[in-house]
Amino acid sequence: MDFSDVLASSIHDIKNSLGLILNSLNELVDDPNNRIANPRQASLLQHETQRANSALIQLLNLYKIGNAQLVARINEHNFDDFFEDVLADNQAMCRGLNLELTHRCDPHLTGYFDADLIHGLLNSAIGNAGRYAKTKILLSATIEERYCVIRLEDDGAGFPDALIHCLPSENGLPQFIANDPSRTHLGLYFASRIAALHRNSDGRTGMIRLRNAHILSGSCFELWLP
Amino acid sequence: MTDEFTNKKFLIIDDFSDVRSAIRSILRSLEVTQIDQARDGNDAIVQMTGKRYDVVLCDYNLGPGKNGQQVLEEARHNLLLNIDSIFIMITAENTRDMVMSAVEYSPDSYLSKPFTKEILQRRLDKLFERKADLKKVSKAMIVKDYNTAIAELDALIATDPKNLPDLLKLKTEICMTANRYDDAMVIFEKVLHEHEVSWARLGIGKVLYWKKKHQQALEMFQQLIELDPNLVTAYDWLAKTQAELKQFDAAEQTLHAAVKISPRALKRQQQLGDLALSNGHPEQAETAFTRAVTLARNSALNHPSLLAGLARSKSSNNKHIEALKLIGEITKSFPNQPEAVFYKATATAAVKQNQGDSVAAAAALQSAEQVISQCGELANSKLGLELAKTYAQLGDHDKATALIQSVIANNHDDEEFLMVLVQVCREAGFEYDAETAIREIQQGVVKTNNTGVYLIKQGKFDEAIHLLHEAADEMPGNKTINLNAAKAMIIKMEKFGASMEDILTVRRYVERVQTLAPQDWRLHEVVSRLKNISPTA
Repeated sequence: MDFSDVLASSIHDIKNSLGLILNSLNELVDDPNNRIANPRQASLLQHETQRANSALIQLLNLYKIGNAQLVARINEHNFDDFFEDVLADNQAMCRGLNLELTHRCDPHLTGYFDADLIHGLLNSAIGNAGRYAKTKILLSATIEERYCVIRLEDDGAGFPDALIHCLPSENGLPQFIANDPSRTHLGLYFASRIAALHRNSDGRTGMIRLRNAHILSGSCFELWLP
Repeated sequence: MTDEFTNKKFLIIDDFSDVRSAIRSILRSLEVTQIDQARDGNDAIVQMTGKRYDVVLCDYNLGPGKNGQQVLEEARHNLLLNIDSIFIMITAENTRDMVMSAVEYSPDSYLSKPFTKEILQRRLDKLFERKADLKKVSKAMIVKDYNTAIAELDALIATDPKNLPDLLKLKTEICMTANRYDDAMVIFEKVLHEHEVSWARLGIGKVLYWKKKHQQALEMFQQLIELDPNLVTAYDWLAKTQAELKQFDAAEQTLHAAVKISPRALKRQQQLGDLALSNGHPEQAETAFTRAVTLARNSALNHPSLLAGLARSKSSNNKHIEALKLIGEITKSFPNQPEAVFYKATATAAVKQNQGDSVAAAAALQSAEQVISQCGELANSKLGLELAKTYAQLGDHDKATALIQSVIANNHDDEEFLMVLVQVCREAGFEYDAETAIREIQQGVVKTNNTGVYLIKQGKFDEAIHLLHEAADEMPGNKTINLNAAKAMIIKMEKFGASMEDILTVRRYVERVQTLAPQDWRLHEVVSRLKNISPTA
């Protein structure tokens, strides 16, 4: 048995457990007679369980990237439709945290990307934003400079300057991984690897950018896809 | 808000009761009232046989026994699902890997766990909507009326819906089935003009393959594999193209690489086994057939040729006793099936011959001949080929040659099958120039066919019908000849009226083709034209 099999089968078990935890929590949150946990606590648990699940998927994907086994399966997708899928995955958690999660884009806008990979990436990003947002999280997509730009914004305190500056301005991987392996940094590292898997035949490659105060006042995570 | 699910029948398949009840409570919260549960694959098949479900939620990993893919295969194979039923495969892995490994049958959707109530509801809403939108297309597909299916799809495409990219992809798939390669090509090129997308590039490769531009197809598939080394379908097509170019060793290596990436596909393992055996690599053949037999154990796609192939490989590796033991299992696994008796007989003949017992080999061969003769004029060409191979192995080259010639004549325009035939001749070590024979026989059949078509155009119907009628009697298994004989008579009847006798003759030609290849894309037109003809005399 090689390591990827061990990893895959462990992840299968862990995901089964997480699934059961999530479903029980859902029932707790929905049950007006529940006396065990207050809805706020249950929502927090739900939130963390989903983050653990996203982290697990990241871990498997990172392992595959390391073995050059991960390739983006690029297809054309309607953004409105795709964002509805992402929202369906995260709406319950955001409601539990009293956050308003919305999306904004031209209903006919389409883009070329690997829906599984970008969905997973946005799940983790929303999970992160859920920690910092005050009341709102906004997901949007536009076409800029011949790239599809997906933005995830919140109305929190914004990214610290140091984090914004550690991203190279053009294509290339973030430099920070070695000196600060914190959770956010790992997430950004993963996001930039996933973005870089998106290439077009004209040689352009996907990338991520960070900024503050775009439409909402807080942090703004940008995914630029060719 | 969700009363649309109230009248739908749901089946949950999972080996853990906790997981089943968790899914059940999600469904209850979506107002689903009719929920059944199955704890393993066999249980699921029993329930699906007794009841038609609208939605099946099946975990891929079901513990020992059938896995989710095998449940799906059996359900589709035995028609346990309606066209508007929905089969959702639940997986723990990233769904992308599953999409790749499913070759024969794919579910309507994958769902990666854990999933929330909202995700499931959204997925079900979308799938029901899609099924409703595509209802007319699916109906046309069931009766193989591809032109209507494409026209219906074009009407949907014209409304510029959100799932336009999916519809375009579906249209190319139907165009390919209907041999409308140029229409598919337009879409592939348009998509690739916008962005590099692997299904479109793969599509161009397939069109090149079917248009016999094999060298260009080869380069296209190689390029795809370089871009995405995990794209198993590209390996399958590359191997097919390599075989067409007679690069048999390369084709074997390609399939070998493909089974390393995705070892669960039964058909691929069998193809690899067959290739390895004809390439003179019996050890590799044994490995591939061993895997194929294991995979087939719980599968609806199990077939007597798998155990026979494994037995032949074992015998080539001098494990004759093991081979004979395996052969004994063939008729046990497939009781009361003439095909099983046939494969048992040919495999026995081959093993006995390898052991030097030519008397027992000849006796086994005789019982194979008996099965074939019971099948009548439309005996399966695959069985014919298997028998010819065995004749050649036993040294009866005259019988092998005669049989191969009739198999070629019956399949003169089926390039894929003819390539298998060339391989079989190589495997049997048969000093017979199959390729020259194919060319000669093809020329003869094509000439007859063209003359028939020419005579019809000249209005000389009786001459055309006479010629094609004779040809069809000579090659009852040839689909093209039968179809053209039918067409010639239909055109004549449409012009000059029909007798009951003529209608019955045409019906016989059509029935032959329906028996030989129920999926043939040319059938629908002939059948519907025949339906409009009523006897005038």
